[in-house]
Amino acid sequence: MTRLNSNQVIALLLALLSVGYLAMAWQIPSFPLPRPIDSDLFPKVLGFTLLGLSVLLFLEKPKAQDVPDELDPEEQRLPLLLRPWSRVAVTAVALAVYALILVPVGFVLSSVALVFGLAAYYGYRRHWVNLATALGVVLGLYLTMTRIMGVYLPTGVLPI
Amino acid sequence: MEAFNNLMYGFSIALEPINILYVFAGVFAGTIIGMLPGLGPISALALMIPLTFGMEPSSGLILMAGVYYGAIFGGSTSSILLNAPGVAGTVATSFDGYPMAKQGMAGKALAIAAYASFIGGTVSIIFLMMVAPLLGRVAVSFGPAEYFSLMVLGLTAVVSLSDKSLVKGLIAAVVGVMISIMGIDLQTGTERFTFGTVHLLDGIEFLVVALGIFALAEVFYMLLKGGGGKEQPRNAIGSLKLSKQEIKQIAPPIGRSSILGFFTGVLPGAGATIGSFLGYSMEKRLAKDGDTFGKGNIKGVAAPESANNAACTGSFVPLLTLGVPGSGSTAVLLGALLVMGVSPGPAMLVDRPDVFWGVVASMYLGNIFLLVLNLPLIPLIAKILDLPRPLLLSLILIFCMIGVYGMSFSVFDLLLLLGFGLLGLGMRLFGFPAAPLILALILGDIMEESMRRALQISGGDWSIFIDKPISMWLLIIAALSLTLPLIKRVMARRSV
Amino acid sequence: MTAKQHLTRFSAIVLPLAAVVGMSSAAQADEWTPTRNIEFIAPANPGGGWDTLVRTTSRVIQEEGLAERSFGAINVPGGGGAVAWAQIARDSGNPHKLFATSPPIILVPLAGASRYDHTSFTPIARLITDYSIVLVRNDSPYEDLPSLIEAMEQNPQLSVGGGSAPGSMDHISMAGLAAAAGLNASDVNYIPFSGGGEAMTSLMGGHVEAVITGAGEASGQLGENSQIRALGVSAPERLGGALAEVPTYQEQDIDYTFDIWRGVMGTPDMPAEAVAYYEDLFAQMLETDGWQQAREQLGWIDAYQDSEEFGAFLDEQKEQFSTILGDLGLLGE
Repeated sequence: MTRLNSNQVIALLLALLSVGYLAMAWQIPSFPLPRPIDSDLFPKVLGFTLLGLSVLLFLEKPKAQDVPDELDPEEQRLPLLLRPWSRVAVTAVALAVYALILVPVGFVLSSVALVFGLAAYYGYRRHWVNLATALGVVLGLYLTMTRIMGVYLPTGVLPI
Repeated sequence: MEAFNNLMYGFSIALEPINILYVFAGVFAGTIIGMLPGLGPISALALMIPLTFGMEPSSGLILMAGVYYGAIFGGSTSSILLNAPGVAGTVATSFDGYPMAKQGMAGKALAIAAYASFIGGTVSIIFLMMVAPLLGRVAVSFGPAEYFSLMVLGLTAVVSLSDKSLVKGLIAAVVGVMISIMGIDLQTGTERFTFGTVHLLDGIEFLVVALGIFALAEVFYMLLKGGGGKEQPRNAIGSLKLSKQEIKQIAPPIGRSSILGFFTGVLPGAGATIGSFLGYSMEKRLAKDGDTFGKGNIKGVAAPESANNAACTGSFVPLLTLGVPGSGSTAVLLGALLVMGVSPGPAMLVDRPDVFWGVVASMYLGNIFLLVLNLPLIPLIAKILDLPRPLLLSLILIFCMIGVYGMSFSVFDLLLLLGFGLLGLGMRLFGFPAAPLILALILGDIMEESMRRALQISGGDWSIFIDKPISMWLLIIAALSLTLPLIKRVMARRSV
Repeated sequence: MTAKQHLTRFSAIVLPLAAVVGMSSAAQADEWTPTRNIEFIAPANPGGGWDTLVRTTSRVIQEEGLAERSFGAINVPGGGGAVAWAQIARDSGNPHKLFATSPPIILVPLAGASRYDHTSFTPIARLITDYSIVLVRNDSPYEDLPSLIEAMEQNPQLSVGGGSAPGSMDHISMAGLAAAAGLNASDVNYIPFSGGGEAMTSLMGGHVEAVITGAGEASGQLGENSQIRALGVSAPERLGGALAEVPTYQEQDIDYTFDIWRGVMGTPDMPAEAVAYYEDLFAQMLETDGWQQAREQLGWIDAYQDSEEFGAFLDEQKEQFSTILGDLGLLGE
C-alpha cells in the first residue's frame, strides 16, 4: 500500500468532519410553523458540499505550497523545549492557561505574567526592560479600558 | 448651488472652535481605538454616549462620527504592521499590507493606506453631500431578495481569492459559511451547532476568527520558522514616498473602490467590511498583475482602504436620511442622537439642518486631520517593528487576547481564539487560503438569512429572486464574473 | 443552614436591645447597606436596551449620590441573556450583584433556550416600560388595525416584519394581537429581522406589508414627511409626544395590551434586607430630576413595581406568554 499524500490525509479528515456535520444537521429539530426553508436545509447542503470537495481534494496532487517546508535542521537539534514545534505548543498552552486564570487571578497580574514569561521564553534576555514594557503596556491598557472607557476587567487578587 | 450653500452653512458650524476641537478629539481617539486589535468602534461609541449628555447634538455627532471613521482609518495600522486587524473593516488590508511590511515596505504600505483612506473618505463625503437625500431610496430598495443576490455576487470572489488551489479555496469558504451559521437561527430561533453550550448561542464573533486566523496564526508561524530569539528584527520601515509610477498605478483602484465602497456603505447591513472585500476582489480581477495580489501588491492595500473608508461615510446615508442604522456602529450613533433629543429621519434635513450639514462639513475636516495626524506618525508607529522580536511576538499575543476579551468578556472566546490560531497555522502549512474563509464567514449567514426571509415573504416562490430587477441584475453579474474568466481562457487557447 | 437564617437570628437578638436604646438606632441596625461596589450586569453588548438601562441607572444613582457604593456596569453578552443568567444563577445569595431584565427572561426559557427563568432569581423592582407599535407604509391601503387584521385573514401570506426571532418579543406581541382580534396566533406570517431598524427599512422599501416594533424605537420615524405611519400601540392609554396621534388597540375594539417592561433582578435567594435596600434605592432614583431628564430623552415610561408586585407580575406574564407560545407550537421542553 502506498503512503497517502498530505492532501489525501486532509481529505479523509475533512470527509470525516463533513459526515459528523451532516449527522448533526439531521438532528436539527424542524420548526413547528411552516417555513419554505427550515433551519436544517442549509447545513445539509453545506455538509454534502464539503463531502464532495473532500473527494476532489483526495484526487488533487499536492504542489509545493501544499506541504510544509522543512524546518531548519539546526533548530531541530536545540534542547527539546526550544525546538520549533515545542515553541508553538508551549505558546498555545500558555495562552490557554492565561485564559483560564484571567478571572481568578485578575487581568493585570496574568497579562504581565504572559507578556514577560513568553518574551523571556522566546529568548529575550533583558529582563528589566521586558518587565517594564510588560507592566507599562498592560497597565496602560487596563487604565484606559477601566478608567476612561468604563469597561470592567477582572481585578482578581490585586485591589485595583 | 444649493448644495454649496448648505455646505457653507455646515462649515459655519463645523468651524466653531469647540467643534474643531471635537473633530480633532474624535478622530484622534478613533485612530487609537482602531489601532488596538479588538477594541472596535461599536463598544467605543457605546461607552462614549454618557460623554455626549448635554452636548449640542451637532457637536455630539461630530465627535462620535469622528471616532467612527477615525477607527476605520486607524485600523489599517495594525493590519499592516502586525497582521492583526484592528477593526473588522480592515481585514482585507492585511492581505497585501502585511506582506509589504515583511518586505521592508511598512512605511509605504501605511502611507498608501493613509492616502487611500483620505481619498475614499473625501470622495464619499462629496457623494454624501450631493445625493444623500436621493440615496435614501436606494437604501430601502434593497430587500431580502436583493441582499441575497448581493451576497451571492460577493461570494463569487472566493474563486479569485483562492488562486493556489480552487478546491482548497472552496473548502475554506464552505467552512467559513459553516462557522457563520452557528448559534441561534434568527429565522426560527432554533439552535444549530451550539454543542449544548450557551457560549455558542450567538455564534462566533467575527473578530475572534479573524484575529485567530491572521494574527495568532502568523505568530505561531514565525515561532515555527523564525528561529525564536536568535534572529535580529527586521527593522526596515522603508520610505514613505511613492513614485509617480506607483501613484499612477493606485489612482484608478482608489477611484473605483471609493465609489464602490460608498454604495456598499449606503446599503444597510453591508458596511465597511463587505465594502473592503468587494473592493479588493474587484481590483484583483481587473488587475493585469492579479496574481501578485496577496504578495504585497500596492493596489491590494489601496483598494480595500479606500473602500472601507468610503463605506463608513456611506453608512451615514441611511442613518441621517432615513433614521435607520445600517450597521452596529451607526445603531449606536442613532441611540446617541435620540438621547440628545434629535430623531434622525427624513424630517431631520428640514428640522435640524445644523446636525446634518454640520456633520458632513466636519467630515471634510476630520479626514484632513486624519491624514495630517497619521502621516507624521507613520515612522513612529512603524518603530513597533523595531522591537526585539521575542517582545514583539508576546505583545501581539496579549493584544489579541485583550482585544477579544474586551469585546466579549468571555474566557470561552479566548480559547476559541487560540483554536482558530492553530487552525490558521494548519491552513497555512498545507496551502489553504484564509481569505475565502473570512469572506464566507462575513457573507454566509447574511446570505442564508436573506434568502429564507425572501422566500418566507414570497410564500416559497423562488421567482422572487429574478422578478426583482436589482436582484436579477446582481445574479447576472455574479454569473458573468464566474464564467467570463473561463470563456476568456478558452478563447485565448483557441486563438493560439 | 444559610446566611439568611444567620441574619434573621442576628436581628432577632439585636432588635429588642436596640428598642431599649432608642428607635432611631433600631432602624439603623435593621438596615442593610452594601459593603462593597455593586456589580450591575447588562446581559448584552454595549448599546442595547439592557445596557442603556444599566448605564443610565448607574449614572443617575452616582450623580444624585443615592448610594454609598458605586454601581459598576458589566456587560455579559450571549444567548439573548442566557450566558449572563447562567453565571448569575451560580452566585446564590450574593447581595452585591444585580442585573437588568425584560420579557426575554420569561420568553427565552419558555422556548427552551435557558435552564434559568425568572423564578431562579430575586425580583427587585420593575422600573420602566415601552409598548409595541404596528406600522405600515404611508401609501398602504390599511387605515386602521381592523382593516389590516381583515387583510391578514384573507391573505395568510401577508408579511409582518419584526425585530427579533420567532417566539421572542415582537412575534409574541403580534401573535397575541392577532389572537385577540379573532385570528389564529399561528396565522401571522411573521418575518424576523435582526433589529427594529432593519425591519422598518424593509417596510419603507415595500418588502414587507407591516412591521411590529418598539414604540420608543419607532417614534423617531413618525411625523411629517415620514414614509411610514402607525396603526396602533399596545398601551392601555395613548402615549405622549410624537405618538399622541396613535390610537391604542383597545380604542379599535381589540382588547389587548402588551408591555415591553424593564426592571432589575438580583441573585437567587438574595437576603430580604438587601432586596429592601435596593427596592428603596430604585424608588428614590425614579423621583430624581436626573432620572426624569434621562427618561424623557430615552422615551421611557415609568412603571415602578416593588419586589413583591414585580414577582407577581412576572408570574402573570409567564402565564400569558405560555398561552401564546403554546398556540404557536413554540413551547420548548
